[in-house]
Amino acid sequence: MIKLQNISKTYPSSSGVFYALRELSLEIGHGQYIAVTGPSGAGKSTLLNILGGMTRPDHGDVLVNGKQLYHLSEKERNEYRRVKIGFVFQQFHLIPYLTVYENILTGTSGRNHKSNIHTLLERFQLENKSKHHPSQLSVGEKQRVALIRATVSRPDMILADEPTGNLDQENSKIILDFFREYHGEGKTVILVTHEPSLSELADRVVHLRNGIATFV
Amino acid sequence: MNLFRLIIKEAGYRSVSTLIILLTVVIATLVAISIFTMSKASEDETRKIMREQGLNLFLFPKGTETIDFFSYDYSATFDEEYVDILANSETFDAVRHLVGMLQLIVPGWEDPQGRKHNILLVGYKDEAIQPYLNRQELMGTDVERGTVRLGFDISRFIPEESLFRIRGEDGNIHEFLITERMEEGRGMLDQGVAMNLQDMQGMMNMSGKINKIEALGCVCHDGRVINARRQINQFLPDVEVKELASIANARENQRLMMNKYGSFIIPFVIFASLLISGFLFYENVKSRKYEIGVLLALGSGRGKVIGLILGKAFMLGFTGAILGFFAGTGIADYFGREVFEFTAQNIRPRWNLLFTGMALSPFIFMLASWIPALIAVRWDPAKILSDT
Repeated sequence: MIKLQNISKTYPSSSGVFYALRELSLEIGHGQYIAVTGPSGAGKSTLLNILGGMTRPDHGDVLVNGKQLYHLSEKERNEYRRVKIGFVFQQFHLIPYLTVYENILTGTSGRNHKSNIHTLLERFQLENKSKHHPSQLSVGEKQRVALIRATVSRPDMILADEPTGNLDQENSKIILDFFREYHGEGKTVILVTHEPSLSELADRVVHLRNGIATFV
Repeated sequence: MNLFRLIIKEAGYRSVSTLIILLTVVIATLVAISIFTMSKASEDETRKIMREQGLNLFLFPKGTETIDFFSYDYSATFDEEYVDILANSETFDAVRHLVGMLQLIVPGWEDPQGRKHNILLVGYKDEAIQPYLNRQELMGTDVERGTVRLGFDISRFIPEESLFRIRGEDGNIHEFLITERMEEGRGMLDQGVAMNLQDMQGMMNMSGKINKIEALGCVCHDGRVINARRQINQFLPDVEVKELASIANARENQRLMMNKYGSFIIPFVIFASLLISGFLFYENVKSRKYEIGVLLALGSGRGKVIGLILGKAFMLGFTGAILGFFAGTGIADYFGREVFEFTAQNIRPRWNLLFTGMALSPFIFMLASWIPALIAVRWDPAKILSDT
């Protein structure tokens, strides 16, 4: 269970202060599928970063299973990100000099995930590309590698920031099917998206505008 | 993912940047090694030339008028024990190669043809071992009892296979086996005979006495003779020290100049390379901003990021030290032979420098990359990833 209470986050801007989030309160139960929608600059990515333990809010509390996330030490927050969270980004963020297999390993916490990686590579039809570098992959393949990296450790929650923004329909379907399947296993999925059609798949939709949340 | 593998992969991916940093390390090491090697070669050469000059400090009984030293009847002496007192001192280090001597002009020596000559007799005590100083190759003229070495001019008068004969103060003829006939050009010894000190003392009725100690002054920054006088007079106030000024002064000055030059240029080069490589490491870290952001976002700790940057500096420092050592030694060898004609034969690999370099260089270049590493771990991964 994650509980956000009166979260605000500002950034300095040329016109003074930009409010990314204003007094946002939100509860995310275990195993929920939530879509976060809204126009550009509405605070969607900031919300994801705060949930992921990467961006400390200016005000408010973030409680993960009753513990203040930002009262944890940096080491504990790293551990939280490594074990509990799987990030999927619109730009994939693969490391260019590592192979597919090695990129996936960067998402593991040191335990033996060899068989799990092979299963996922097979599931995403990448078994013959494990030694390829990102530059040798198509856009859809890159996002599939990023998805495997995010989920290889079986984290409790996936935070996906516009994961299909750069993909064609076929690849988008592969990604979304996997999210549905992962959610079906009782895991939490939080999906940031511009596309209204994607939000239909979610249990709940949180719509953000100028940092203020509207719940659907 | 293994840190070492990540470093190797990144270094291979950014090969040009990595090679430029490595080149900086190699150049810094190369300059330091080549200057040090040449300066050591120069030092060795100085030492060698000083040794070839012979012993350059003479210890006489105080008040000795050296102008009268070789007079027929000159007899100022001191105890032979003085040599051992100096040699066995724990604090006396200004002088090496202590050789006690009795050196007298003997008038009326009769050669086998019956002609008379004034000859120089030199009785040598075996070179004293200084137990509290490092062992060095002996420079003294140790002569076995019952034997002599003949100077060139005297040798001409004595046929091969003959013994050397001389009448002692006791009136008896003393005979000695000739073990060496010296080459021409040994200075006063051309007209002299080198023998064992005890033989000479017995023959001249001067038991336990010597009139000179020869030694080699240390290469001291505060001057050989000043330092030696100060130390010797603490033990033996009735001894005075005279220096045989020689070409060794010029060679010593050259060595000191080389050392001063090295002591300026080596730290300068290391400091300059620290600055340059620090800048290059910063540029390298900046170009890795994106992947550092990814690693931090995926939960890698700041320690791992610091490890990646310092680890690369360590590996480049280590590799650079090895390459720099061989390049520096090669350059010292190649150019040293051109520039330092006399020191060329002493230019050789100083293997201790290789091990010192392998130990120091990684830490020096880790120091250079320390600030870039600290900057990198302060980056906000969320901001980095949203900017890309």
